[in-house]
Amino acid sequence: MAILEIKHVSKFFGGLAANSDVSFEMVSGMIMGLIGPNGAGKTTLFNCITGYYPPSRGEILFDGHRMNGLNPDAVCKLGMARTWQKVRPLAKMSVVDNVMVGALCRTNSLKKARVAAMEKIQVVGLENRVKFLAGSLPIGERKKLEVARVLATQPKLLLLDEVMGGLNPAESEEIIQLILDIKNLGITQMVIEHDMKAIMRISDRIVVLNSGEKLAEGNPQEIVSNKAVVDAYLGGE
Amino acid sequence: MAVFFQSLISGILIGGVYALIGIGLTIIFGVMRIINFAHGDLLMIGMYLTYFLFALFHVDPFVSIIITIPVMFLYGAFLQKAFINRVLGALPQNQILLTIGMGLVMSNAVMLAFTSDYKILSTTYSSASFNVFGISISTPLLISFAITIAITLTLYWFLYRTDTGQAVRATAQDRDAAQLMGINVKRMSIIAFGLGAALAGTAGALISPTYYIFPQVGSVFTLKAFVITVLGGMGSIVGATLGGVIIGVAESVGGVYFGSGWKDVIVFILFLLVLLFKPSGLLGTSKD
Amino acid sequence: MRTFKHNMRGMSTLPVLLTVAAVIALFLLPNFVESTYALHIMILIFLSVIMGLGWNILGGYTGQYSVGHAAYFGVGAYTTIILMQYRHIAPWYGVWAGVVVAVIIGLIIGSICFRLRGPYFVLASIAVAEIFRVTALNLKNLTNGAEGILITDIPPFKIGDVIITDFMSKVPFYYIGLVILLIAVFVTWMLQNSKLGYYFQAIREDQDAAHSLGINLTVYKNVALSFSVVFTSLAGSIYGLYVGFIDPSTVLALDLSVQIVMTCIIGGIGTIFGPVIGAVVLVPFSEALRSNMIAQAIIDSGLVSENSGFGFFLKEQLSHAHVLIYGILLVVVILYMPDGILGFMRKKISAKRRKEAL
Repeated sequence: MAILEIKHVSKFFGGLAANSDVSFEMVSGMIMGLIGPNGAGKTTLFNCITGYYPPSRGEILFDGHRMNGLNPDAVCKLGMARTWQKVRPLAKMSVVDNVMVGALCRTNSLKKARVAAMEKIQVVGLENRVKFLAGSLPIGERKKLEVARVLATQPKLLLLDEVMGGLNPAESEEIIQLILDIKNLGITQMVIEHDMKAIMRISDRIVVLNSGEKLAEGNPQEIVSNKAVVDAYLGGE
Repeated sequence: MAVFFQSLISGILIGGVYALIGIGLTIIFGVMRIINFAHGDLLMIGMYLTYFLFALFHVDPFVSIIITIPVMFLYGAFLQKAFINRVLGALPQNQILLTIGMGLVMSNAVMLAFTSDYKILSTTYSSASFNVFGISISTPLLISFAITIAITLTLYWFLYRTDTGQAVRATAQDRDAAQLMGINVKRMSIIAFGLGAALAGTAGALISPTYYIFPQVGSVFTLKAFVITVLGGMGSIVGATLGGVIIGVAESVGGVYFGSGWKDVIVFILFLLVLLFKPSGLLGTSKD
Repeated sequence: MRTFKHNMRGMSTLPVLLTVAAVIALFLLPNFVESTYALHIMILIFLSVIMGLGWNILGGYTGQYSVGHAAYFGVGAYTTIILMQYRHIAPWYGVWAGVVVAVIIGLIIGSICFRLRGPYFVLASIAVAEIFRVTALNLKNLTNGAEGILITDIPPFKIGDVIITDFMSKVPFYYIGLVILLIAVFVTWMLQNSKLGYYFQAIREDQDAAHSLGINLTVYKNVALSFSVVFTSLAGSIYGLYVGFIDPSTVLALDLSVQIVMTCIIGGIGTIFGPVIGAVVLVPFSEALRSNMIAQAIIDSGLVSENSGFGFFLKEQLSHAHVLIYGILLVVVILYMPDGILGFMRKKISAKRRKEAL
């Protein structure tokens, strides 16, 4: 049963086609890797899916619901959440308060939100930082905070935008483990990432975008041996 | 019909001066992304400077521009180095509050020093006018307009034909890229603010024969300057030029048909409409 | 949220006790203080705190810096006074009418302005307030234009046949101000510790992130605005009744909007006690300047002779300087203490905490 269906989605900015006739499906519980060179349209696709702007053409179906034109808050309430390429901590609020904001999506009680928040904070391993102001955290912990916060909204589908960007190998490894843990919780994930080794390890399937178009789709083995992909992307890197 | 043309012409003439104010503000915004709430007070200082040059040394206000421009430029450069520079990285709200504070200091210091009595600068030609096809054109306004055109052309020449000017424009378009290309963006900021102050001060000098001079005169012009720059597109010099003329005309024609008490409201409503429907303005280059 | 040592309901004991003691002292104050001038200062402080707390909900917590709050102050004042003076509607109904009108206007303004971000929102808020001020100047039949409205009499407040107060002294205004202030503090405290408060702050910190976390920006901004407008409008109505005279240049002025923001900035934006500190600092200082107390003190101390040129200047001019000093204060605070007094302290404590964790 497809949890997410992207059907012929295109997005134009003026004359520029940032996304061009992209189609694929995701099955519940899987991890889908979304890769492509810079400017391929990956974040644009995320933004269309999560309601930042509607797609110019095509349809986005989540659990059967048509998502085109829904606002980001409605998207979140329906069970889709995203993290940001450039981290967005709620800087002057503490770590626990940050995560509570996510949790309050599902409850009106501060008490319950706090309990849920503490649980997510443990999942990502930020227990020592609970009372710290989010703005004072280093980049690795900010990324973890963002994941905890987004987990607190109880998503069915989680979109991670370069969550390993700017991290050292040890930190990246922690994030990889986190993504696998999230998979075990039953949450479906779409991951934009430049770290190819990581993508190979975690993805069930991979979609490759190039210049706004879908170049290829397949499991990691298929993608690595796909000549067009290697030419356009892997080889060039 | 004659009334309409009359107000149209007056509007265009004053619009030229408004354009100067708007261009100054838009350059400051373009280069530093700062919204200068003290802009009208810079104009006010230009007015007082002109007044004292006239009252004490009998320098004709239009001639005194030769002095006003460099003095105001240096003053603006000083303000930038001493104050504005420190908040370039701060929250926009804080930047606005800083410039509001600076404006308050300027207008109230002037009030303390010179009292809030209205001063009038009357020259022999202050109320002179001449007739063209039955339309009366105010002489001082016409002279201001001519000077405004001259200054605007000089400014365009500076910005488009000199290295420094092009560097200023490059910084306004993309500060980071400009820095990477080796442009000293700090120096550009100082120049930009100096230019803005000089233009505002000059506008003050140009209108001093026809406006009352008092410490609080700046605040009305600050708001108008914003309307002009938002209308034309924050950061666009051509836009500010157009915006100035449009606002001048809207005010003048609106004042005739709705009564002078309401003409400010018309301008503000226009402002809100622009903010709502095309916040990037007519020719906006804003990257927000 | 700031958290000190917690006990049961997340409140620390000492500050609570101190606050309760202070509140009791404030209630008893008129019994011990004879000076009407002192009462006058207290009333102005109360009103300033109420305006600050009101602004804070929208500006400090939700991050929507309106520099046009005088619009709501003025609408509250004008509605109440016009109803009382021309329609003989008692002010204890009139203030609520003022609130209703102000909230409706606020929601309309919000629907226009909330699409705008950062500096554009600030500009729009100023433009709106100026539209109100100029409109009030021009609608002479309604507002008496620049001449303003002078109150002739406030009807005595009765319950049954018993006159509770006839508003002849300052004392009833003192208590009204104090009660509304306490309500404002209470409401702010409740908001802080509620889902609304968390959502407001999220919007302030990062609007897009908040949006993606399920927060409907329009709804919550308007809720914050409504709370904010209620208190600002009440302050305006009470001010109008207390002073007995209103005109557009006092109750709808840009200066007033800036003062409200300043009160919050000096104390610390986004805190309950920030506006209190700000008001306690600014109001007496401004009054002291206005009434020449400071000039007199400098002269009395012998530093400057009364007959010298400088002494003369001080006596004549310093009273007009309070706005100048506001401006200087604003510049200094923005440059050196942008988070206000409380924010400055908060940063020190957090830095200390980080050091301890390492």
